[in-house]
Order: sequence, then structure tokens, then C-alpha cells
Amino acid sequence: MKLCIACGMPMERREDYPLGDETKDYCLHCARPDGSMQSYAEKVESLSAFVVRTQGLDPAAARKAAEGMMKRLPAWKEKP
Amino acid sequence: MLSEQIVIKKESQRSLQKEDTRRRILDKAATVFSERGIVETRSSMVARAAGVAHGTLFLHFTTQEALITAVIEDFGDGMCRRLHDLSRRGDGIHALLEAHLQAIAEREDFYVRLVTEASMLPEAARTSLVMIQSTVSFHITRAAEAGMDAGRIRRQPVHMLFNTWIGLLHHYLANRELFAPNGRLIGSRGAELLEYFLSLIEGGSR
Repeated sequence: MKLCIACGMPMERREDYPLGDETKDYCLHCARPDGSMQSYAEKVESLSAFVVRTQGLDPAAARKAAEGMMKRLPAWKEKP
Repeated sequence: MLSEQIVIKKESQRSLQKEDTRRRILDKAATVFSERGIVETRSSMVARAAGVAHGTLFLHFTTQEALITAVIEDFGDGMCRRLHDLSRRGDGIHALLEAHLQAIAEREDFYVRLVTEASMLPEAARTSLVMIQSTVSFHITRAAEAGMDAGRIRRQPVHMLFNTWIGLLHHYLANRELFAPNGRLIGSRGAELLEYFLSLIEGGSR
């Protein structure tokens, strides 16, 4: 089973992939509407917003948490 | 040809042995962390419990921070996998919260150490805990929003719903000697907490 390189989500079904394209290494949540992968900046924004919405963290703390989580993922390991 | 096969076989055995040792260290570290506390545990205690030399432990985990982080990630993988599978089946919030409780119950002593010592842990370990809670909140939020759309759950901010559940659960776990003197909080009070929480969030309209 593949894990999304950008967020770690397990990808088991066709609908987990951007536009149903199972050759991609990232999931639909990490894709732009055209199916390309979000940039680092876009992913930090979307993950921070998700953490604020679902766990209620302070926005600055959520951003720090998002950057910390992303550092563990293959797509972003080389980022600062 | 034969010598190549022997080399491949030996490499494969070494790799299996290495994985086996890593697994044993992770399991024993979780046990020692549960008994002594994560912050209080020295790597030498873990090495002794796992029956490996101190140097061997450092071959697998180069720092104490790396060891703590790996144990937390290992715990989180099991919990997140379980919630992911249930979420996939479209099970509702009741089943998800039950699975959350069950996953904690299986490693309750470790989980209590983790949440009560969180602020004292190294940053990488705290990030691992945030990652676990993010996955848990993702699945609970998804089930809660489906329940809201179906009119079974009152409309409310999802972070308050999630934090109310975690707050209730962690308060009981952090003080479990008061709520469950037998030491097994989830086993003795989990069903009560779940039923009460559901009574708080249920009932709504589309």
C-alpha cells in the first residue's frame, strides 16, 4: 500500500488519488484542482488551517506543528 | 552463482535479525517508559530490558530523543491504522470513539505517561504526539460532520467537539488513581465516558 509522500495518508483506492490517477505518489488532499502537487508553502497553509479547524490550536502554534509534521514526510524532508 | 546466493541469504538473515532487534528494543522501551516514566528512563535501562548492549541500542537509535520519538510513532501507527480502517468502512462516530478507547486501553500505561509528560518531552516527540492527535481528529471530525449533515449530531465547531472528548478522556486518565484505583481506567470507566460524551453531542437538525 502506498502512503502519500506529502501527508502520509494511506492510499488504497482510486478515489484517494488526484483525479483518480494511481501513478501519482501524493493524495487528492495534497493536490491542486488540476491534479499537480501543492507546493511546500501551499501545504503548510492547508495543513495549518486543518489543525486550527479540527484541534483549535493558535494559528502560529498550528503553523509550527504543521512544519514539524511535514519535515517527517518524504516530499518535504529537504525543506528548512 | 552459489556463493552469490549464500551472500544474499546471509544479508537477508542479517536484515531480519536487525529488524527483530529493533522491534524488541521498541517493545521493551515502551514497557520501561510505562513503568518508570518517559523522562526518567535512561537508555541503559532500555538496553538492559531488551537484552542488548548499550552500543547496540545506539546503532538503532542514535539519541534518546530518536528512541522516544520512534516509540511514540510506533504507538501512533497502530492507533491511526485502526481508525483509518473504520473510517474507510464509513462507521459512525460511536464506533470510531470506541476504537480510540480500545487502542488506548491496549497501551494505557504508556498513553498516560505520554499525555502527562508531553510538555517535558523533546520537540520531535511532541511533534509525534501532535501528528497522532491530528490523525485522530481527522477521522473524528469526518464522522462528526457526516453525523451533523444527517441530523444526528448537533452543529458545533469541530475543534470544540474534539477537544471536549480529549479533555474529558485525558482528565480521567491523568487522575486515574482517583477514578479507577485498579489502574485500568478505560476498562472500568471508558463506556461511561463514551456514553456521556455522545449524549452531549447527539441530537440536531439538518
